[in-house]
Amino acid sequence: MEATAFNRLLSRRTLLGAAGAAGLLAALPGCGSSVGEQAATTAGGSIKIGLVIPQAGVYAPLGTDMKRAWDLFLERHNNKLGNYTVTTVTADEGETPQTGVPAVQKLLQSDRVDVLVGIVNSAVALGVKDMVVEAKKLLIVSNAGANDITGKARTPYIWRTSFTNSQVSAVMGKVLAGTAPAGVFAIAPDYAAGAEAIAGFTGTFQAGGGKVLGPAKPAFGKTQDYQPFLSQIQTSGAQATFCFFAGAEAVAFVKQYQQFGLSGKIPLYGSGFLTEGGVLTAQGDAALGVQTTLHYTSELDNPANKEFRSAYEGKYQAVPTVYAVQTWDAALVLDRALRKATALDGDTLSKALESVGSVQDSPRGPWTFEGQNPKQTFYLRKVEMKDGKPVNAVVRDMGVSGQPAT
Amino acid sequence: MIAVSILNGLAIGLLLFIVAVGLSLVFGMMDVLNLAHGALFLAGAYAAWFVAGENPTMAGFLAALGVAGLAGIVAGGGLSLLTEPLARRSHLDQALLTLGVALAVAELMALAFTKDVRAVNPPRGLDRAIDLFDSQYPVYRLAPIGIGLLLAAATHYVVERTPVGALIRATVDDRDMVAASGIDVRVVRVAVFAAGSALAMVAGVLGSPIYSARPGLDITILILALVVVVVGGLGSVRGVLLGALLIGQVESLGRALLSDLASFLLFGTLAVVLALRPHGLFRVAGGR
Repeated sequence: MEATAFNRLLSRRTLLGAAGAAGLLAALPGCGSSVGEQAATTAGGSIKIGLVIPQAGVYAPLGTDMKRAWDLFLERHNNKLGNYTVTTVTADEGETPQTGVPAVQKLLQSDRVDVLVGIVNSAVALGVKDMVVEAKKLLIVSNAGANDITGKARTPYIWRTSFTNSQVSAVMGKVLAGTAPAGVFAIAPDYAAGAEAIAGFTGTFQAGGGKVLGPAKPAFGKTQDYQPFLSQIQTSGAQATFCFFAGAEAVAFVKQYQQFGLSGKIPLYGSGFLTEGGVLTAQGDAALGVQTTLHYTSELDNPANKEFRSAYEGKYQAVPTVYAVQTWDAALVLDRALRKATALDGDTLSKALESVGSVQDSPRGPWTFEGQNPKQTFYLRKVEMKDGKPVNAVVRDMGVSGQPAT
Repeated sequence: MIAVSILNGLAIGLLLFIVAVGLSLVFGMMDVLNLAHGALFLAGAYAAWFVAGENPTMAGFLAALGVAGLAGIVAGGGLSLLTEPLARRSHLDQALLTLGVALAVAELMALAFTKDVRAVNPPRGLDRAIDLFDSQYPVYRLAPIGIGLLLAAATHYVVERTPVGALIRATVDDRDMVAASGIDVRVVRVAVFAAGSALAMVAGVLGSPIYSARPGLDITILILALVVVVVGGLGSVRGVLLGALLIGQVESLGRALLSDLASFLLFGTLAVVLALRPHGLFRVAGGR
């Protein structure tokens, strides 16, 4: 309790500092934009990009993956995107909007970046919308999955190279449709992303004639022991479980699912974040056999992924994750857009992104923007042992899908 | 389903008892609110991962318990010395000091073990599930029940039936009078702090297969332990046991029956107990 109060105090102070800085800068209007325009008119100028990633808190491992991919892309492209020499300013998104929004504010107003890339937390992405629109700068979201970012709250200035929560889970609804006549138990934490994941799954699963049991909604961030829900799943008569968990909760749920003897009896399915990256290592044997849907796995057999993976492993001695690929692709589309753009303002860059068309050389396979969000191939993946380490092996190509209408 | 949740609540409750008994005695006896107690639990969980590994053998797990116990004694002694100069000052001063220690230790552990989750499996032989009340239950979770009951009985015996216990109870009641009768209260203080901290770290090892070591677990456990102590009444072993068993059921059975109210249940229980019995379920005679 004390620690929470302490954190709040700290973040409030950071917020006040940022607000103060913002006030000072507001007194010098036009300064930043004129500099930006000058740089833009000379082809082969320089561009300043703000990379917003969590460097502390529960999402810090995702931030590490994102930063690595960003650095790797620039390293392999002579530190250039299009004809522009890149200066990257990294800002710490932290865990919540209390830290994430001031970080973006600082990048826009004090560092005067031309383009923003990153953002893990959906609440941060939605929270900075007005600021980005007002500054008329381009933001490429490379993780945050809230449907609204490219749905109800859509603006020409915010694009996304990742996914929407319901897009990922809707694919699992199709996978399971027609199986498990007694029903599938759905479980996800009781926050926006969890609700969107369950809604996406339920939509396609019920359309295929399936019956959803539950859904159970454990308190987000406050559940360490899933026993009450695991007992509920056991007695529900479900033939399979669909879940959405990420980070430490994904580790706890998958481990306990196995400890309570469910993994042998009621197969576990979920959105791919359940077994992606560091959490899979921590889950170890408990994750074997878990099946998930996602738009990437390090095991994909295509030339772009092979090259990306070997470069990534060579530089970092780590297997790339979906979070890395999404940020790699943000750099990739920005590179394309900047070759065509004549200026660095949000309107020009947004138009340039519209004309990028199909991205053929992404490690995840070909994809295109549809409503500023990727229309992309999804894969059914299964956790298997490979060389003594758990990996997400490809079971089936589930075809291309865009974000479901909301 | 309800029977399993009650059993699970018993396991969680007894684990909480092992964590909270030290916190309660330290507070009851010397008015030190040790906010670093959660960090000790997390340190125990990391110790399990570090000493015994991800898939521990029974011997490795027992070794981790021993290491955690010894490390806890050292850490508790250190904390006792740290808080000594603040003994006559307000709770807030001590809270700030121990909170500072807790934050620093948590950050050091994040540096040493990264921010990824460090999961520990139950020791071999206990890593399976058995049929209980129509569903499956992990054998390992029966361990905290056994160990918790043993420790509860042992602590109760020591505190209520031995000369050492009489000294501890007397110090809880009236520190100055004990000092006036020629007994060095500081020794009692260091000993209780060390024992309480050792129990917290041992609980961390026992809890690691259930909770996994990860940043943030320290705060979660600290809050649970504080609620247990406040509900049970400060400085009373019986009170802590009762409080821990109650909170265990709230966390397990409560969540099973009223899952929509899960976030509210813990502090709701605290509020109800405080409203009905402001000094906790068991008030120590003459206690604060």
